Amino acid sequence: MARLDFSPSMREQFAAIGRVRWQLFVNSLRTVRGRLELVARIFMFLGFGMLGLGGSVGLGLASWYFASHGQPEFLALLFWLIFLFWQFFPVLASAFSENIDSSNLLRFPLTFRSYFLVRLAFGSLEPATAIGILWSLGIVLGITVAAPSLFFVAALSLLAFAILNILLGRMVYVWVERWLAQRRTRELLGVIFFLFIISFQLINPLILHFGKRAGPAMSHFSAQALPLQRFLPPGLAADSIASALHGDFLRSLGAVLLQCFYSAIILGLLKIRLRAQYQGENLSEAVARTAKPAARGAAPTVGWNIPGVPGPISAVVEKEFHYLSRSGPMLFTFIMPVVVLVIFRFGSARTGDPGGILARAADLAFPVGAAYTLLMLTNLVYNTFGGDGVGVQFFFLAPLRFREIVLGKNLAHAIIIAIEILLVWLGTCFLYRPPSAEIVAATLTGVTFGLLVNLAAGNLLSLYTPKKIDYGTFGRQRASGTTAIASLAIQAVAIGLCALALIAARASGRIWVATLLFLFLIVLAAVGYILVLNQVDSIALKRREALITELSRA
Amino acid sequence: MSAISIPVAAAPAIATEHLTRRFGDLTAVQEVNLRVAPGQFFGFLGPNGAGKSTTIKMLTGLLAPSSGRMQILGSDFTENPVEVKRQIGVVPEGMALFGRLTGSEYLNFVGRMYGLDRDTAAKRSAELLEFMQLTDQPKSLVTDYSHGMQKKLALAAAVIHGPKVLFLDEPFEGVDAVASNTLKAMLQSMIARGATIFLTSHVLEIVERLCSHVAIIHRGQLVAQGSLEELRAGVAAQSATALLASGAAPGDQPASGEKLTLEQIFLRIVGGTRRPDQELSWLG
Repeated sequence: MARLDFSPSMREQFAAIGRVRWQLFVNSLRTVRGRLELVARIFMFLGFGMLGLGGSVGLGLASWYFASHGQPEFLALLFWLIFLFWQFFPVLASAFSENIDSSNLLRFPLTFRSYFLVRLAFGSLEPATAIGILWSLGIVLGITVAAPSLFFVAALSLLAFAILNILLGRMVYVWVERWLAQRRTRELLGVIFFLFIISFQLINPLILHFGKRAGPAMSHFSAQALPLQRFLPPGLAADSIASALHGDFLRSLGAVLLQCFYSAIILGLLKIRLRAQYQGENLSEAVARTAKPAARGAAPTVGWNIPGVPGPISAVVEKEFHYLSRSGPMLFTFIMPVVVLVIFRFGSARTGDPGGILARAADLAFPVGAAYTLLMLTNLVYNTFGGDGVGVQFFFLAPLRFREIVLGKNLAHAIIIAIEILLVWLGTCFLYRPPSAEIVAATLTGVTFGLLVNLAAGNLLSLYTPKKIDYGTFGRQRASGTTAIASLAIQAVAIGLCALALIAARASGRIWVATLLFLFLIVLAAVGYILVLNQVDSIALKRREALITELSRA
Repeated sequence: MSAISIPVAAAPAIATEHLTRRFGDLTAVQEVNLRVAPGQFFGFLGPNGAGKSTTIKMLTGLLAPSSGRMQILGSDFTENPVEVKRQIGVVPEGMALFGRLTGSEYLNFVGRMYGLDRDTAAKRSAELLEFMQLTDQPKSLVTDYSHGMQKKLALAAAVIHGPKVLFLDEPFEGVDAVASNTLKAMLQSMIARGATIFLTSHVLEIVERLCSHVAIIHRGQLVAQGSLEELRAGVAAQSATALLASGAAPGDQPASGEKLTLEQIFLRIVGGTRRPDQELSWLG
């Protein structure tokens, strides 16, 4: 482990890095977009602040209850909650985390110590760490109120737990970053991640489904696994406090020391990666020279032909499909609506219980699946040029009106949503029962309305608040903060209108009333969409410099 | 210094009138009047920050001019942007590639965006990949290409529709000697067939070897324009006048028959000579 020796030059280097980051922030406020981003971030900060403080109070009360009611072993549940949140939140919400590009630092005469500390420090400045620390403080407070004499033990244990979490988060991140640097491993990890998420979401329905039959086996498994969890960091943190509460201070100290031991191992693993980065490792993605060259004289690959669609628009649709089909995260997004139907089906199949929202009212399955599809896929339309990066320049060089390019992209996204809706319909038929014609009509008209609203709003936001995204890496597809908040408001309005239509249909006892209302809304939305489309050329021309600059950022 | 300007007789392939671009208080390009005749291999030079890329961005539609007019092959760019774009090919500063397509998919896409039918786009894509020696890794995504390979692909994309005017922003940067020779041969054959090429490069030797005509922009203003010979003559005449005005001895004038290189011309025009007192004493 590097010695923490702050030489004057190291301090100056840290100050310089801090200054430049501050300057970057200040400079970003020169533009309207930068200021809007700041407002969006303030809202996000408030959201995270509420999550942190609310969780802190909740966990504090729970820990107080467990400590004062002689059930300290249940503290492990709280520590596991914090642990899982701390480690998984940055993966699921990477848009809120900021990671510096270490290669920029390497050209400066930084010692490995400085480099190591900089990476550790900046990697720790993220919401998960702040929330994790707030929650841990809540536990310390709860335990201290229940047993004031345990303050030091709780504080020491939580400190060791926090350090371990910070180091583990960084260690996992740098190793994952290493694996994701290459396309093959990226794809492999994408599949593993997908399977993990699926299995994670299936745990509860499976337990419910096999609940009675699997009861003894589950009890046996729990009996075997529970003692093991005590040797893992969250279990150790809980054990150190529980032992101190029972007066076994030696065991309490042992649990803290074991946490420190884990931290040392994690630190070692972290050091291996950071050392390699410090030494300037090059994770080139160039394909090996042994790759098979294209056969001479082979028939050239011809592009797609979409009947009735002009060539250039077909080309844009084809390009969009190539991009999305090569994106593990997007494929994951596309499959989720059907997975949700499966999960609800499993969840509702409890023995002797027709339970589960969708199974109790199978006619809801198709509309719910379709609405979820729309919600998931609208991420695509709100930052439609984000994945193009520097390629966006080409759209301004090509001999086309910008609206044709936007139309091509909208068409591609509409086709994807149509395919998804078809899959959801098939899933509904297979897993539940075929929805009635009235339900299908109401759903399709509702989705069409929602799609048109989202496309119109998405086209504007894509031009006004673009953000470069990476289709190849998980968690890097999120739009800008401004777009996220604006799209949330638009979705709320669209869903509100749909809900009003459904309420009206329910009140009249006729589903086709909703269809009629949706048709009326479709006309309004279509007019709005066309109006926006007509403005796209002039907006794109006015915004071209900002758009190119934003999407060409390294 | 006063601009050295030589009128071009033929109807211009590229013409600008008082082309100006301001960024807030900064005037990046000021009143530029360019004239490039059809079939010319035209070099557009200038020191860093002189306004080269800004000019080329305006000429290709990536940037709006603050004022002034641009005509490409007789068509006003602002009035007929789509028509003009159909006639031109561009390798812009950032290459404008789509990283998550293969080379073949990218060229097909570009060809069709320029209005080629599917079969023609596919045929030309295959030919261009072969010509540029990019067939080794047919399944590789563009993002996995080396910088030189990306440059070759960008050039292939710029010519797939057979443009009459080609704009190239630093096309040889990062390209190896072998590929560079291939590219130069291709560009020269385009010139032989009547195309016009507008090139910016910091490698003056390449410009001198390829270009018949040159313009130099300095601090946003066009300070020289003409054939290499005309620029040589202009610079020599100016030097002689300056020497006479300063009362220097005849021996200080450039020797008769001395052929200035483009680099010498460039340095004399933009005043790139360094003052003797500009020393960094602390440098090892």
